[in-house]
Amino acid sequence: MSRIQLQGITRRFGPVTAVDDVWLDIADGEFLVLLGPSGCGKSTLLRLIAGLLPPTEGRLWLDDTDLTHVPPQQRDLAMVFQSYALYPHLSVARNIGFPLRARKWPRAEIRAKVAEVAATLGLTALLDRKPKELSGGQRQRVALGRALVRDPGAFLLDEPLSNLDAKLRTGTRAEIAELHRSLGTTMVYVTHDQVEAMTMATRIALLDEGRLAQLGTPSEVYDRPASVFAATFLGSPAMNILDATVRSADGSLAAHGKGIELSLGIDAVLPDRPVRLGVRPEHLTFAPAGGRGIHAVVTAVENLGSEEVVQCLAGEGRIAVRGPRPLGVSAGDAVTLTARPEHLHLFDSASGRRLTWQPESVPASV
Amino acid sequence: MVSGTFVEVAPPLRAREAGVVPASRESWWTRARRIAPPYLYLTPAVVLLVVWTYQPLAQTFVLSLHSWNLVPGTPMEEVGIANYERLLGTPELGRSVWRTVVVILGMLPFTVVIPVLVALLTRRVRGRAQGVYRALVFAPMLVAPVAGAAVWQWLLDPSAGAVNRVLGTDVNWLNTTGTAQLSIIVITGWHVAGFAVLVVTAGLTGINPDYAAAAQVDGASRSQVTRWITLPLLSPTLAFLVLMTVLLSAQWTFPLIDTLTQGGPVGSTTNIYYLLWEYGFRHHDAGLAAAAGVLFFAGFIVVAALLTRLAERLSHHDD
Ligand SMILES: Nc1ncnc2c1ncn2[C@@H]1O[C@H](COP(=O)(O)OP(=O)(O)O)[C@@H](O)[C@H]1O
Ligand SMILES: [Mg+2]
Repeated sequence: MSRIQLQGITRRFGPVTAVDDVWLDIADGEFLVLLGPSGCGKSTLLRLIAGLLPPTEGRLWLDDTDLTHVPPQQRDLAMVFQSYALYPHLSVARNIGFPLRARKWPRAEIRAKVAEVAATLGLTALLDRKPKELSGGQRQRVALGRALVRDPGAFLLDEPLSNLDAKLRTGTRAEIAELHRSLGTTMVYVTHDQVEAMTMATRIALLDEGRLAQLGTPSEVYDRPASVFAATFLGSPAMNILDATVRSADGSLAAHGKGIELSLGIDAVLPDRPVRLGVRPEHLTFAPAGGRGIHAVVTAVENLGSEEVVQCLAGEGRIAVRGPRPLGVSAGDAVTLTARPEHLHLFDSASGRRLTWQPESVPASV
Repeated sequence: MVSGTFVEVAPPLRAREAGVVPASRESWWTRARRIAPPYLYLTPAVVLLVVWTYQPLAQTFVLSLHSWNLVPGTPMEEVGIANYERLLGTPELGRSVWRTVVVILGMLPFTVVIPVLVALLTRRVRGRAQGVYRALVFAPMLVAPVAGAAVWQWLLDPSAGAVNRVLGTDVNWLNTTGTAQLSIIVITGWHVAGFAVLVVTAGLTGINPDYAAAAQVDGASRSQVTRWITLPLLSPTLAFLVLMTVLLSAQWTFPLIDTLTQGGPVGSTTNIYYLLWEYGFRHHDAGLAAAAGVLFFAGFIVVAALLTRLAERLSHHDD
């Protein structure tokens, strides 16, 4: 059992606040992905959990133990470093066996266990090599092997796939997910890659400048982004964000802007309110010219093989549309784009936080 | 019915087949201009090396085949390898080589063991205190050896010296055969330890901190991290320090021997360089001194080559 709890964890480096008041409750057996752009504090947070850095503020719990001041040796966590940190002077076998040697296992048992782990990772033929004689993918496996060789309370992985080529990354991604399923051990996985996050995570913790921007399952984070940051970080191309005003007409709400008129599908009368309107490229469709929607001019068409991305200019805003190839438009075309009301996201124009519609409980008058 | 046939798609056309020839070879002039600069930059250094190192070396070799008393105007007399025969025949040579070995072994704690301990400990000192600490350790290196020797002579004075007072002893440190050599070693060690600490510190900073972090997460205690990770990765630095000690200890001690003991008492601090100096400038036997110089030079080349080989074999490089 290993549930990891972070309570108000903060870490400052001089004037820089790398991790800012993060509260997280990572359940036993969970695959939590720490996602965020480079420099947002993901590695720092992982090092705080591993005990390699003391937090400036906050507490850290593993099950019912307060880990805040426990040295890394006694935390029973295994970590895969972004650089892999394979000991350059030790052979692959000694690298993988290192955690057991530190725990004073007998030699014969270490050898047996290392052989077993090496077999599952396909490293048996490489056991006598030094790390510098390995390819990037092999090094990554050795790093994984060193974490797997003991039965840790949780695995911490810092961008383990970022140094691999695209094809190897896809393969290894599936393997790590499979490993998590078979072991059932808690994993905290750091990445800046949204595809890794979406495909592997049971929950995503999205970080923005050291703060937790959103916490939720991949579908929650993708379908109901909590802020403009979350909306634009996930998805490719990023969600289109346009300045608009919510206005009521004929008893229902619609988003209005320069060349924009999209129904929100809400029946209500409200004073005008400026918002930021978000819509994902794949949710935009071409409508007959002249109707309601977003009026735009196509500037470029990008071919992704199976799909096409159409770049448009609407007013002063850029809009991307994604759909199956061919979409049947070309540069210079004037188009009208629409989206279903449930695919429109509204964000506060000042704070950038998501706005949700809450129908007022109308007093029963009948 | 329509009839047809499958046609294979042609591979991309290559320019060579289309009759286009790749760019012509560069002319000898552009080639020379591209290759020459590094050699031109090196020339001044090479010229200085030849004038100040290799030419004197050659002259020493020539001198070692002559008999000469260093007096300008007196003729040099060609004697063949007589100087070498004479040198190898003296019992002093063997004794001075042995004393040099003792000095080297005695210096190793000061150039390797103590610096490693100090550097490992100062790593934990943070901020400004670390700089101050390093400056303190390095300071003796900046004291001129002769000035240092004068102070130590005073400290080691048999009647009023601070060392005897502190230790509660009554030893004539510099005039007793056993303690004279010990004093020379300790004073030289005091001089160079700071430099060695600096070298080790630089070596430690060069080690990626992720290794120690990974080892800690893997469960290694602080001393295990030091023994299993840090020291092996520091081995190139340690090999360098050992090499420096072996090759240079006898030179480092020279100014101290010259000011404090003049090779005595009864030759107990006469190492190979002091012996060479005595032959040349006490006995005015330039040929013998030159022969000793050539012999030691050759000897150190062999030792250096062996040690470098050994270091290559034993040390681990972090890449
Ligand atoms: N040891 C350190 N000293 C000073 N600043 C640091 C240190 N480690 C990280 N930082 C800063 O903290 C921020 C977050 O870094 P990091 O956690 O490595 O980001 P990420 O892994 O998300 O790319 C960065 O601004 C970085 O410069
Ligand atoms: Mg990072």
